[in-house]
This record gives sequence, structure tokens and C-alpha cells, in this order.
Amino acid sequence: MNFEMITPRTTGELLQALANNQGSRVRIGAGYTDLILELKGLKCEETPLVINLADLTDPKFTHIEKTDAGIRLGALVTAGKVIIDASIQTELPVLCKAASELGSRQLRHRATLGGNLCTASPAGDIAAALVALEARCEILSADGTLRTLALTDFLVGVRKTALRQDEVLQSVFIPTRKSINKHLLSDFLKVGTRRSMEIAVVSLAYQFELDAEEIIRHAGIAIGSVAPTVKFVSAAGEFLVGKKFSSIGAVAADKFAAMVCAEATPISDIRASAWYRREVLYNISRGIFDK
Amino acid sequence: MKKTIKFSINGTKVQQEVLPAYLLIDVIRDGLGLRGTKPGCLEGECGACTVLIDGLAVNSCLYLAVNADGKEVTTIEGLISGPDFSLDPVQQAMVDFGAVQCGFCTSGMVMSIKGFYDECVSAQIQPNREQIKKGLEGNLCRCTGYKKIIDAVESLFEEA
Repeated sequence: MNFEMITPRTTGELLQALANNQGSRVRIGAGYTDLILELKGLKCEETPLVINLADLTDPKFTHIEKTDAGIRLGALVTAGKVIIDASIQTELPVLCKAASELGSRQLRHRATLGGNLCTASPAGDIAAALVALEARCEILSADGTLRTLALTDFLVGVRKTALRQDEVLQSVFIPTRKSINKHLLSDFLKVGTRRSMEIAVVSLAYQFELDAEEIIRHAGIAIGSVAPTVKFVSAAGEFLVGKKFSSIGAVAADKFAAMVCAEATPISDIRASAWYRREVLYNISRGIFDK
Repeated sequence: MKKTIKFSINGTKVQQEVLPAYLLIDVIRDGLGLRGTKPGCLEGECGACTVLIDGLAVNSCLYLAVNADGKEVTTIEGLISGPDFSLDPVQQAMVDFGAVQCGFCTSGMVMSIKGFYDECVSAQIQPNREQIKKGLEGNLCRCTGYKKIIDAVESLFEEA
């Protein structure tokens, strides 16, 4: 493994580094839980250049900020920080659960939210939760301008994002939904061949908002490892809105599961067959209502 | 181009000349001669190389040495203390419960337990058996079947 490195300490230095260094040899390093393995396997003529974000202290990149409008998470926030944050535990429990299912304790101490999104794996755990939460990406460009993009538009394919070469993901923003007496029902279901250190064969992230009468007012649902990107399943979510959670019976649950599966386009690969992924997705979707 | 990094290892300040691509595990083992930290899978899967950085357990095989600059690194060698080489309570519990067989995973396992234990104590969490297993999910042991290791960790929290 060999590469050159630039380590910006301020956002200004980072923008400078982005402006001066573009092209396929440039990679951005945050937690390195994936990047070191990628750099080890790389066989290229040009020496890679890593823009190392480890010393960046700008709170926009490193902090979790809660305002009336919503919660903003810096791209350098680690999975471990997400898990222990009180406002995420109460308001974004699906994200908390997904972060706790990622890798191992050691990896969670290092793996960043931005890394999980920019890797753009269809199996991304944090990505699935953030898609379910309809997160918006805040992207900083080398010229200092900031643009926002829905996470579903940010993830464009297997290991492909909408980031341009002179851009870096600064943060994600999850707007607060204004509702009264809401209570949340959420989970992140990850199916693999074992329980620890697993890459999802199928994953399902959901966060429902229920009112005082247990009527579902909003349903954010995302599926992972069954399409080229994590996908938001809007039709299945809309189907649930207006229904009383506890009175959803077998017929509605079957219809819901079929609607979730309708959005899946799984492939067969080394970890599972397309058939198996579809069966599992159906069953875990239906299982939400078995509780 | 090499860079000089300064960090603390087991309480002692050290200085090393490193290339950007140097991994922390190599600096610990070959640069500093501390061979208690074990290279296992070298891809973050097995946990044998676990060390603490500012108190948090990380895989030293996935940690760039340049990023250790200014940090406090603790390895298995740093757990022994005093002129009579007393064992850390985590090490003592592993001995008492017979939780060591071939020993290859043990230093990483002990460092993971140490990090987990300290984090639980400072957050005032009394973990149950499932939470202990989850805390150690990043460490593989091919000998013990884990039972005695988990028993040893449970004993630490019972005493506390």
C-alpha cells in the first residue's frame, strides 16, 4: 500500500485541497474502515492521493446539532457517537439501531456517517436508516458553495454517488416533522448469515409516527441489499398512513409486504440468491405487524 | 515523504518517522517493538490487533499511524503496572476463569474488554450477558467457544 496524503485542519484548507486535486487518484479518508482495504487492493499506475479528514475540527463536519428545524449530523460523526447521542436515541431511533448493527464495536468507534454514505454500498446500514428518515445531504464545493440534495438522489448506483470531483459531503440534515402527541415505532432489521460483523443480505429500516389513537401519520421505510442502491419505498409507506397500527391484520400486512417487495430488484451473488432475498424481504416486512 | 509523529504509548511519549501509508499496528510492533498486539486478519474482522486510542478500542490494522499523532495509545503491555508487574483486573479475570487457550486472540480480546468495561463504568451502565457479547463482537476466538471469556467479563461487573 502506498499513497500520498494531504491533511487539512480547517475547512478553508480542505476546499483548497479539493480545488487543487481532482481526478480518479484522489480519495477522501475519514474513518478508514473501508478505505485502507480498498487502497491495499488497488493496482494503479498513479500513486493515490488521500485527503485525510482526521484533523478537521470544523463542528459542521464533526458535531451533532439539534435545532427546532431538525437534526444535523456532520459527515465525520462516528457510528459510536450516533448510538450514545440522547436526541438521536429519542427522535431518530431507527438511526441509533442501524448504527449499533454496523460492524463491531471497534469499527463503530471509527466508521463515519459520511463514509457509510459516500461508499454508497447497497448494503449500507446507516444509509438505510437515513434514507428511511428522508435525510438531505449538505454538500460543500471547492468554491465554498453549499448545495443540498435528497439522500435518495445522492445515492445513484453501486458505489456511485452524485458527488462531483470538487465536492465533499459536509453533513446530513433530518428535518423535524411537526406533529402533536406523536410516538415513534421503528426498527432496523438486518438479515445476514450471522449476527455480528455482517454485511446485510437484506435490510429493512423503518420509522413510523403514530398519533395518540395509534393511527400511523407518517411511515418512512427503506430497503437495503435488494437494489443497486438503498431504496425509499414510498408506496408501501403511503399505504400505511391513516391506518391504526394495532388493527393491521393479515390481509393488509400481506399487501404491505408485497408493496415493499415490488420496489426490490435483487440480484443473486456470493452471499444470497435473488429468490432468497425476496422471500426474506417479504417476511421481515410482514413481520413488522406480528408484534 | 515521511512525517514525524509524537504520541503517547502506555504513558510514555514517543516519536516516530512514518509514511502516510504506515499502519499503527506496524509502528507498534516493528517501530516500538511491542509485539503483544497481534496481526490476525489485517482487515478489521478478527480484533486480534485491538488497542485503545484515547480510551476507545480500535483495530490498529485499520488505523493510519499518522492519525495517532497527539493521541494516547494503550496496548496490552500498558495494562501491567507496578514493580511487581501486577495484572489489570481484566487480565486477572481472564486467568481466573481459564479464558485463555492458544492465546493469539487474548491481547486483542483483553483490550476490547478493557475499553468496553471503562466505557460502561463511565456511562454507569451495568451490561447484561447479551450486551457483553455485543461489546465483544469484533473479537474472534477459535479455541474457547467464548463462554469463559464472557463469564470473566461478567465477573468484572459483579465485583464493581
